Amino acid sequence: MNLPAEELQAIRMAAQWYARLHSGITTDADRAGWNAWLSADPLHSQAWQRMTAVAEQMASVPGALAAPTLSERHNRSRRQVLRSVLLLTSASGLGWLGWRSQATQNLLCDYRTAVGERREFQLADGSTVLLNTDTSVNVRFDGRQRLLELLWGEILVTTAIDPLQRPFKVITGHVEVLALGTRFIVRGQAWGGEVAVLEKAVEVSLSAIGSRMRVEAGQRLDFNDRSLGTLRGNDVSVGAWQKGSIIAIDRPLAALLDELSRYRNGVLRCDPVIADLKVSGVFPVDNTDLALAALESGFSLRVTRYSRFWVRVSSGDQR
Amino acid sequence: MPATDLSLRSAVDVLYSDHHSWLQGWLRKRLGNAFDAADLTQDTFVRVIKARSALDIREPRPYLSMIAKGLLIDLFRRRSLEQSYLEALAAMPQEQLPSLEEQAILLQALMEIDRLLLGLGPRVRQAFILSQFDGLTYPQIAERLGVSVRTVNNHMAKAMEHCCLMQIQLQLS
Repeated sequence: MNLPAEELQAIRMAAQWYARLHSGITTDADRAGWNAWLSADPLHSQAWQRMTAVAEQMASVPGALAAPTLSERHNRSRRQVLRSVLLLTSASGLGWLGWRSQATQNLLCDYRTAVGERREFQLADGSTVLLNTDTSVNVRFDGRQRLLELLWGEILVTTAIDPLQRPFKVITGHVEVLALGTRFIVRGQAWGGEVAVLEKAVEVSLSAIGSRMRVEAGQRLDFNDRSLGTLRGNDVSVGAWQKGSIIAIDRPLAALLDELSRYRNGVLRCDPVIADLKVSGVFPVDNTDLALAALESGFSLRVTRYSRFWVRVSSGDQR
Repeated sequence: MPATDLSLRSAVDVLYSDHHSWLQGWLRKRLGNAFDAADLTQDTFVRVIKARSALDIREPRPYLSMIAKGLLIDLFRRRSLEQSYLEALAAMPQEQLPSLEEQAILLQALMEIDRLLLGLGPRVRQAFILSQFDGLTYPQIAERLGVSVRTVNNHMAKAMEHCCLMQIQLQLS
């Protein structure tokens, strides 16, 4: 860039005036000084216009979004927000129907939430458990251990320090997770399970095959009743449901709809033609109709409601 | 078509056929997936064509990998920004969530602002964000960062000058 020296100098001065006028403690003398400077030279007003252009670009985004997004990302953000969360996702190898056949058992469990509901409970030792949509949990505390049994769904557990130093475990299917951190989430799905750790570590074991793995902060591990999977890194979508959102980053549409359907009653079908369409965005789980409307307008899709409980998503191009 | 254009074009052709799959493999190793690798390979050659430099290249592979490395860094930066952005969105009250279309427009705007801020020192950047986007006064920023009000003022002037020059440069390119 080859701007003349006088112009560069004018830009530097304009920046200094801009800084002085946006301190929040500007005086009348400052403003008078700026006025005098501005009218002293056409180069000055030209440079000031450039400042205005920068300020306009900055103003094109709400500050509440810009500040957290643009702050230096390696020091804060994600890690800090989710640091304290230790995430476990899990399932049995029984499959969806198998799980569902336990519905009567679910009704008799200690804690449960309905579809679309999210609730937090306090446990006897001061630990808390947040149940995501459609979740059932049994609590078995005794003199030797603190044990949660996840029958179905997804939970976020915040463990308190135990004066009796009993270990804290979550069991789901045949998989046992020993918490070495303070907070964690467990989720039951038909395809298998997943453990994601955001603070410290957990130990996942599958005693049937004598398999045992340690999962460190920032990692997640999937598994089923026959084997433990491979370690992968966490991303921001992990645990977003705590705040009532699904975060999708280049997610296939079909997978996103599967996720959304956990939060609503009835059937949500995806046209196979667009199942692999990659979708990004933040979707509210507390109002899934709103999420569907966002998909409809944002990706030119068509949402057809055959009844309140039967919804089909197809390509908007079809006549 | 002038002769130089013809020879430039055949030089690009040779470069492409000799090194295309090598570059794609090189990128796949770093990205871990074939789709992004194919995209970035394409982008790398587009850069070479735009720079009209194909005739002058002595060592094609180091040259191509240097360009590809720059594109990789861009990509990671964009991804990381996008993640922070989605996280910020997720923290907003549900009823204030922008539509998907607005979400995409805002992300684009943020990436452009991020490009203006590129190269600012972390302290200067932080002071600028606190003033411009959090709406704090200089005394409040000074207290937050543990520096004098005068330093905050200097940070702001520096940031505005930097952004202005970056804006001019990006408009020219």
